[in-house]
Amino acid sequence: MEILSQLILNGVIAGALYALMALGFNLIYGVTRFFNLAHGVLAAIGGYAFFTLSKTLGLNIYLGAAIGVAVAGLAGYGFDRLVYSTLRKRKASNLVLLVASLGVFTTAQAALSILFTSNFQTLSSGEAGGSALSLFGGVVTRTQLVIIFSSIASMLGLAALLKGTMFGKAVRAISDDEEVARMVGINTGRVTGYVFFIGSAIAGFAGILAGFDTGIQPTMGMGLLLKGVIASIIGGVGNIYGGVLGAFLLGLVENFGIWKIPGEWKDAVSFVLLIVFLIFRPQGIMKR
Amino acid sequence: MDYILHLAILVIIYAILGLSLNLVVGYTGLLASGHAAFYGIGAYATAILTASLGVNFFVSMAAGIIASAGAAFLIGAVLSRFDGDYYALVSLGFNVIIYSVFLNWQGLTRGPLGIPGVPRPALFGIEFSSGVFFLALAAFFLALSFLAARFVARSSFGRVLKSIREDEKAIQVFGYNTVYFKLAIFVISAGMAAVAGSLLSSYITFVDPSSFTVMESVFILAIIIFGGLSSLKGSVVGALVLVLLPEALRFAGFPQSLAAQMRQGVYGLFLIALMLYRPQGLFGEFKL
Amino acid sequence: MTKTDAILKTRNLTKQFDGVRAVDDLSISIAKGKVTSVIGPNGSGKTTLTNVLSGLASIDGGSVVLHSVALKKIRPFDMPSYGMTRTFQEVRLFEQMPVLDNVLVVLTERSVFGALFERHGAFHEKQAEEALKKVGLWEKRNEPASTLSYGQRKLLEIARVLALSAGRQTDIILLDEPFAGLFPKMVKTVSSIVKALRDEGRTVVLIEHNMDLIRELSDHVIVMDSGKFLAEGRAAEVLERRDVIEAYLGE
Ligand SMILES: Nc1ncnc2c1ncn2[C@@H]1O[C@H](COP(=O)(O)OP(=O)(O)OP(=O)(O)O)[C@@H](O)[C@H]1O
Ligand SMILES: [Mg+2]
Repeated sequence: MEILSQLILNGVIAGALYALMALGFNLIYGVTRFFNLAHGVLAAIGGYAFFTLSKTLGLNIYLGAAIGVAVAGLAGYGFDRLVYSTLRKRKASNLVLLVASLGVFTTAQAALSILFTSNFQTLSSGEAGGSALSLFGGVVTRTQLVIIFSSIASMLGLAALLKGTMFGKAVRAISDDEEVARMVGINTGRVTGYVFFIGSAIAGFAGILAGFDTGIQPTMGMGLLLKGVIASIIGGVGNIYGGVLGAFLLGLVENFGIWKIPGEWKDAVSFVLLIVFLIFRPQGIMKR
Repeated sequence: MDYILHLAILVIIYAILGLSLNLVVGYTGLLASGHAAFYGIGAYATAILTASLGVNFFVSMAAGIIASAGAAFLIGAVLSRFDGDYYALVSLGFNVIIYSVFLNWQGLTRGPLGIPGVPRPALFGIEFSSGVFFLALAAFFLALSFLAARFVARSSFGRVLKSIREDEKAIQVFGYNTVYFKLAIFVISAGMAAVAGSLLSSYITFVDPSSFTVMESVFILAIIIFGGLSSLKGSVVGALVLVLLPEALRFAGFPQSLAAQMRQGVYGLFLIALMLYRPQGLFGEFKL
Repeated sequence: MTKTDAILKTRNLTKQFDGVRAVDDLSISIAKGKVTSVIGPNGSGKTTLTNVLSGLASIDGGSVVLHSVALKKIRPFDMPSYGMTRTFQEVRLFEQMPVLDNVLVVLTERSVFGALFERHGAFHEKQAEEALKKVGLWEKRNEPASTLSYGQRKLLEIARVLALSAGRQTDIILLDEPFAGLFPKMVKTVSSIVKALRDEGRTVVLIEHNMDLIRELSDHVIVMDSGKFLAEGRAAEVLERRDVIEAYLGE
């Protein structure tokens, strides 16, 4: 029984982190329609920005986190302006954009390893993740609670933004049909830039939280990205609510999977889940 | 001198990988992003058979080709359902899965410890243990791979592959069951990659999972995109440039400890620049 | 027309897209060795009909009867073995391949192993040459298809179909608006090709909007409207009918 609640808790915690990755990924996919494989490296950028500010320079952690999130957002915005928007203007194919994003990913990850070494760093000071609480017979750290709540808060915030504002309307218009959106006078280039900022900022936030929970490494991006992408696809690509649902499903399946098989197989388990979905339910849980 | 021999052998191994991957990406237009998996199967086949069981190198290579082609047959059967960016993602997923197998099937691969003591090839009492002999052997296999790739590319089969790349539905209407063609080229390509893997493990005399990550697959992709899609000459030139360039950086005074990161950074930038300025690469005739 | 002449029939054929019935309970028959024009206003389902016949769109209801065999499911790559081939209204060439290869590729081995060990020979080249010369594109054989003009692109589609039908004796040829956007000289080329095909005894299904060409070329005309069968008969009669004229005007 205790194992069961612990597995569920672990699944929810992992899911919350993946949900943050999926939110940003899906938001960006919705307006650009390409697999932005560089999305993961923004989590690493967020994590390292925070690391530099709060751990190395001793800035207040809330301020450090806020700036770290903004740095990730700006980096994502910069990648869009420098690379993707140029390619989009040329009507480059999805595959060209995908390969370019692989290039961005690789370059940024290499830059992080050169600047910060490839070593593993922890963000939390003191005992790992703060004090442990017991919840429904399982154990959860404070950091993990923060992860769960901020993930839900980000989703609600993003939903409110998309529902309630002119910006949200513009985003939805572009997601439906970019040509039409442009014809009715929406500055699609600018809105896409903002979307990159927001999506990347959320990824940066995920990176900081992941850093508190386990730690950061320049190569952390690929793992987080893949989880985000898989969550998005099994949830319904381009549908942000579906992505969150997919993330929690993925977190649970992974954690229940490793109940019986060793933990090192986690990544393989998640890809098997993806492939099963693509074969039997390619549109995901929630259709766009 | 040893250093030059070493680089030459590496160039040859990557040229074989490039040639084989180009058949799938350049000719057939499928963005296969998991080539390192098949490279790894060849490498492990040789390591396990020669180091642990004392089998002759050439027999182990044949076994590697068969194992890799067999794995490609199963994986390809799933992959053939996809195209475009989903193909890229799912093939990358299979790389992650196979990598997990290398890492976690301790009984067979010794996991992260790797397999040491892989002998150099020997045939009829001739040992290819010295650098020069090994180079000659590797060059022989490169020539063989080049001829095989050219044979495929110039056949009617090769023309059908290109038409699949251009418009799969249209060529189907003219009577080709394209699933079989895609599967066949995937299997051929995987078999060729296994040759490169066998050479690698016997040359380094050691094999561990870290050589067969997704990043390695991205590196091979960078080679063929740089050299030119659907250009066999381009694959060889691409391997030459992308393997040697980071070495040149080292001579320019960058520290040895950063070599791996520099290499990554360089080919990441190459990918971005190519997508922006020359998506068909150096000698390519096909744009993604 | 008696039932026995029919080489291709549809029986209550239905195809829908998100609730829109693009082809709606359609039962028609196509006579062997004749030119049958399928006409109808824009969006009446003509292209969808060819897509269903060529397996690019699945059958949602009813069936297709080919050579007296009723089919509920058609796979695209079975088309030539049913003796059928087609062109596309929205031209679909193998853009980054030379013009010659666009034709050669329909002539070679269909099996994987056969194709792997086959190099195209003089025999294939001869057939491709014949087809390309008929449409006047032989001089362009080494240029990538993407460099052709709009009209030349449509002609290359025709050449592809001619080569296939000559090489494999496909006797049903579906032409989806082959004349649209062509210069008068090219129109003459294509219309004489259509006549030549009929004289060879091939069955041509022609989708066309130009009334003069319909009158000139068709042995039989079938009118569709909103996916449904509306009328059929000889061109001269059908084109005078009130309901047909109204269907065209009503769009
Ligand atoms: N792939 C598709 N998805 C959704 N709707 C489609 C699709 N293809 C066709 N339709 C719809 O089916 C109907 C019939 O279209 P179709 O292209 O078959 O007409 P058509 O007779 O060929 O017209 P035209 O003369 O303009 O070529 C139209 O309402 C069209 O919008
Ligand atoms: Mg049409």
